[in-house]
Amino acid sequence: MIIESFNHKMAAHCESGTLTALIKHKGLEIKEPMIFGLGSGMYFGYLSRTPNLSFPMFILRTKPGKLRKKIAKRTDIKFITQKFKDQEKAEQELDRLIGEDIPVACQVDFYYMDYIPQWERVHANIHFITIIGKEGDEYIVSDSYYPKLARIHKDKLRKARFAGGYLAPKGFMYYIESVPESIDYKQLIPVAIKNTINNMIGVQPPFIGVRGIRTFAKKLQGWPKLTRDVDHLSHEVMKINVFLEDQGTGGGGFRFLYATFLRQASEILNNKELDEMSKKMMEIGDGWRNISYFAAKIGKNRDLESDRLQELGQLINERAEAEDKFYNELKTVVNNI
Amino acid sequence: MKEKDAYIEYEPQQLIMYVEKEDGTFGPIQTGSFISKNYLDDFWEKMLKLRKSLLEQLKNNEITCVYFYKIIHDFNDVELARRAGIPIYKVKKHQKVKSFKNIKLLDLQKYAYAFDVPVSNLFQAVVVDDNENRAETELEKQPIIVKQIKTDNPNLVITKIEVNKK
Repeated sequence: MIIESFNHKMAAHCESGTLTALIKHKGLEIKEPMIFGLGSGMYFGYLSRTPNLSFPMFILRTKPGKLRKKIAKRTDIKFITQKFKDQEKAEQELDRLIGEDIPVACQVDFYYMDYIPQWERVHANIHFITIIGKEGDEYIVSDSYYPKLARIHKDKLRKARFAGGYLAPKGFMYYIESVPESIDYKQLIPVAIKNTINNMIGVQPPFIGVRGIRTFAKKLQGWPKLTRDVDHLSHEVMKINVFLEDQGTGGGGFRFLYATFLRQASEILNNKELDEMSKKMMEIGDGWRNISYFAAKIGKNRDLESDRLQELGQLINERAEAEDKFYNELKTVVNNI
Repeated sequence: MKEKDAYIEYEPQQLIMYVEKEDGTFGPIQTGSFISKNYLDDFWEKMLKLRKSLLEQLKNNEITCVYFYKIIHDFNDVELARRAGIPIYKVKKHQKVKSFKNIKLLDLQKYAYAFDVPVSNLFQAVVVDDNENRAETELEKQPIIVKQIKTDNPNLVITKIEVNKK
């Protein structure tokens, strides 16, 4: 069986894409940038000492699951969430729900999504997919990163839902019980923007927000000491491009998505200053995209001497400066709403 | 980002990009992956080189299969211990050639689960020379297909080698 009424669409990001699709399926019209913005998804963190990581990494969005929690807190959308110890029970509950025509979002290890090209698949327990049907031993999957509906064998899905390690999904799944008739955007947008401003320029540890971007620029210079050889260093530097563009950001490390949210917000609030800010955020995103191109190029050419890494660090520092200025301006704009 | 600059023709890996459209509005477009289109060969080259180097060390008995797969999967010791459900002190021990010979079958099964391979693959490398340099996009062009089929016995897998008739 398959839930025919579910409309599969690719999305920029798996978590906001899954949320958007489920909310729309329940009857409330909303767009992905609005979900991302209302959930204050924008973030920056440079993680160098997390015990599970084999190499430092940077994150560009809030912790997985936080977007949904913020949306639940700020709107009247009611989510039902479940975690399981028993794999059998997890599968039975999923079957029961899709049997009742309820699409269900599952947290999975991305590595096991075998319909995705092999080179894309890495172990990351933070991927979200929507299960919308089952035929024989295969589940029908709506994945924001795949152009059409996909299929996954039940054994693979089970393994993906119960992969161990950092942020282990533990069978986590959720679905929507109810949505309100409308959302009070005028009240929520300023709250959500203020939260993002706090994430980026508020009092945060030095590896978070704009300070985190600066930390990234600085720590990058030490990467050669952390790698096995020049190929390894090249691989890690080229991953900067992947994190910024390919791993579900909508481009420019979520900046284009956030710019689109600000544009939508300016229309709803009829606020020209917010519209100006959306244009500025789009330009900031262009700068991040240049960084991703630059990282890919020097990685491919193995042009990774210290002066080249300093150049890359300088580009990243420029983004920190631009974002520092941007969020301070945005603070003034949003305080006047 | 302007819409016209965002389009990349690369069908195997599509993604959604938010752009400034021709009419000045902001919205999504479906496009291809820049890095995969331009640099995928480099990625495969690095992976193949890494695999070959690790296999050589494995052949010379300088590393263990646990270390081999740990690097391939980009795990560190903590993550591997969590995923396999094996205490970290044992994970460290199992990466040393001297200690590995005392490993228990149950631990091997746990590693095989975490590495998503049959237990038998911890002790063998299945290599088809002509297939090695081919990216997944060229799977259909591979002359030989190697399939590994699970059985009810957790320690036995059927390895089937077929000529690709496509």
